[in-house]
Amino acid sequence: MITCEGLTKTFGSITAIQDFTLEIPDGCIFGLLGPNGSGKTTTMRMLSCLIQPTSGKALIDSYDIHDKTDAQKIRGMIGLLPEVPGLYETLGAYKNLDFYGQFYGVPKQKRDESIKRTLTNLGLWDRRNEPVGGFSKGMKQKIAIARALTHDPKYIFLDEPTASLDPAAAKLVREYILELKKRGNTILINTHNLSEAERICDTVALLKNKIVKVGHPKELARGLFARTISITLQKIPSSLLPEISSLRYISEAQVNGNQLILRIRNPEENNPQVITWLIQKGLQVQFVSEEEYSLEDVYLKLIEEEGQ
Amino acid sequence: MHWRNAWIVMRKDLAEFRKQKLVIGSIVAMPIILGVIFPLATFVPIITMIPQGESWDVPGLLELGSLPDDFIVPWTNQTIAESSFTEVVLHHKTLKNVNLSNCIIISCILEDVIVINSTIQNSSLERTYLENVTVVRSEGRELDGRYILSVSSNLLFIRTKPSEINQVLPMMFNMMLMIFIIVPATLPTIIAPYSIVGEKNNRSLEPLLATPTTDGELLAGKIFSSFVPSMGSTLLAFALGVVLLDVILLPQVNYPLMPNLTWILSVVLLAPTTCLMSVLACVLVSSKVSDVRAAQQLGGFVVMPMVVLMIGVLSGFLFLSPLMVLVFAGLYGCLDLGLFYFVKAVFNREKILTTWK
Ligand SMILES: Nc1ncnc2c1ncn2[C@@H]1O[C@H](COP(=O)(O)OP(=O)(O)OP(=O)(O)O)[C@@H](O)[C@H]1O
Ligand SMILES: [Mg+2]
Repeated sequence: MITCEGLTKTFGSITAIQDFTLEIPDGCIFGLLGPNGSGKTTTMRMLSCLIQPTSGKALIDSYDIHDKTDAQKIRGMIGLLPEVPGLYETLGAYKNLDFYGQFYGVPKQKRDESIKRTLTNLGLWDRRNEPVGGFSKGMKQKIAIARALTHDPKYIFLDEPTASLDPAAAKLVREYILELKKRGNTILINTHNLSEAERICDTVALLKNKIVKVGHPKELARGLFARTISITLQKIPSSLLPEISSLRYISEAQVNGNQLILRIRNPEENNPQVITWLIQKGLQVQFVSEEEYSLEDVYLKLIEEEGQ
Repeated sequence: MHWRNAWIVMRKDLAEFRKQKLVIGSIVAMPIILGVIFPLATFVPIITMIPQGESWDVPGLLELGSLPDDFIVPWTNQTIAESSFTEVVLHHKTLKNVNLSNCIIISCILEDVIVINSTIQNSSLERTYLENVTVVRSEGRELDGRYILSVSSNLLFIRTKPSEINQVLPMMFNMMLMIFIIVPATLPTIIAPYSIVGEKNNRSLEPLLATPTTDGELLAGKIFSSFVPSMGSTLLAFALGVVLLDVILLPQVNYPLMPNLTWILSVVLLAPTTCLMSVLACVLVSSKVSDVRAAQQLGGFVVMPMVVLMIGVLSGFLFLSPLMVLVFAGLYGCLDLGLFYFVKAVFNREKILTTWK
């Protein structure tokens, strides 16, 4: 389990992240979302004991990131994918991975197997001995991901893992991440990719140099927006909009083609009333549905509010 | 400290190093050119011009006669030591450590004397240098001389003055030895400045620092990975130099001259400790700058005065004795250890990772 309390990091006069207080339970996929420069990478670096927080503390499995000997243990439990792959360009993929595996004391044979498995999964086994300098951006990213996993770490920290991957590779990596979760690993992901976060994260934290909101991606929208109902009618007379806007329980109404988009305080109670009202007006209702807010909407709204 | 981790870092660095054929080339070539080809090209022509063999003719020696039977060692009544005489006549004296020129020496005993432009009669000479001297009815052993006109004397000449080859060889050996100490101090400036800042600029430092290695292990690995190629190529050139020297000099001196104790001690102890010092200086620089070129420049800037200072100190001793080499190596070893702890103490992971100024 990762427990953070008031983690703060400043670089000179810039506050990268302030008062980061969170708990990340074991066995979950936790997403850090936020615009550029919101402190995602900084937070991840603090948790991997690469940089020291300016203030605040964090425990990883009861090891303290401030303590030097603990820090070494923590590093041993983590597999980190940094922002930039940072491979040794003149060496082959195999050598790159093998080198890192050795630091964690993975025996030769296990290392071999694990490297072979990940490289084969990522479709790079045949090119394992070519210098990676000649690889494409996405191929390098894949190797860097494999590097974070060679030693089978308990905690996996991925800084924008799918950023430069093609859709198929991104899907593969997502599936792999879900697979790792099933095996009991705890995964922390930094991402801009909201639909991805929505699909795989159990919990996300929205950052803007501090925690803006934490929650399940689906639940984040709740309370943030008035709920929106879309009603498709066969035909919408032009007089309808002012009339329906004047109804007490409708806070906003819009017409889009033959769709009527309504913001309603309490759809469970008010929807039947609206439908009845429409039918009494002699209009023909085809579909009624509730608009779902995506994480993207939540993100944009929250970040926008935060910026003000 | 887990040496295993240092070993892993070193192996990785060497694997990367192996791909840089040009750098390897220059690192292998430099000691051979400076330590072998250059001294040999300078001295071998001189050496081959020096006459061969042991025979050391006394030019102008007309006759080396045998003494008449009635020759007896003269008696003397006074001992004179440590002085010089010109244009005097000496009778029945024992002369020790004396310089004589334009003298007439009669019935004297000479030991460790230099005689120039003189005449010697009825005397006994031991370890004496004679130049332009007439020796009559005298005996002598272990003499060294030029232009002796001898009549009825029994003189045994040996070569006490060093031959020219013996004057040239130490110069050459000294020069080669110096180079075999200076070169391993200079070679690290090609590799070591890259060690930390190179990884930083390649962005591979972050994943490396994220592994459970300690500062000491990382630094030790980095130090070895610069040290090993530098010393390796020095030893290679040294072996080559020793073999070539022996092959070339064997006809001149009849026995293999190299390697001798001073050389072995120098190359096994003094060269590595100086090399290590230079590596440490460069790694220190490399962990304090954020640009590879700056590291390269600064590395040279730091190591050069060190090398100059060393040449200054070492050249104060025309011949390095084995003891001297041991003393210097011990001194450098201690300095290295101190410097390592200093480099480790000022090594700041976070600063290296996050500072770009
Ligand atoms: N080494 C550094 N020196 C100075 N400022 C830094 C450093 N690292 C980060 N910062 C600052 O901290 C803030 C957060 O940066 P960080 O890299 O954590 O953002 P991020 O959320 O990862 O952004 P991105 O999505 O672009 O990767 C930024 O304002 C950045 O300028
Ligand atoms: Mg980032």
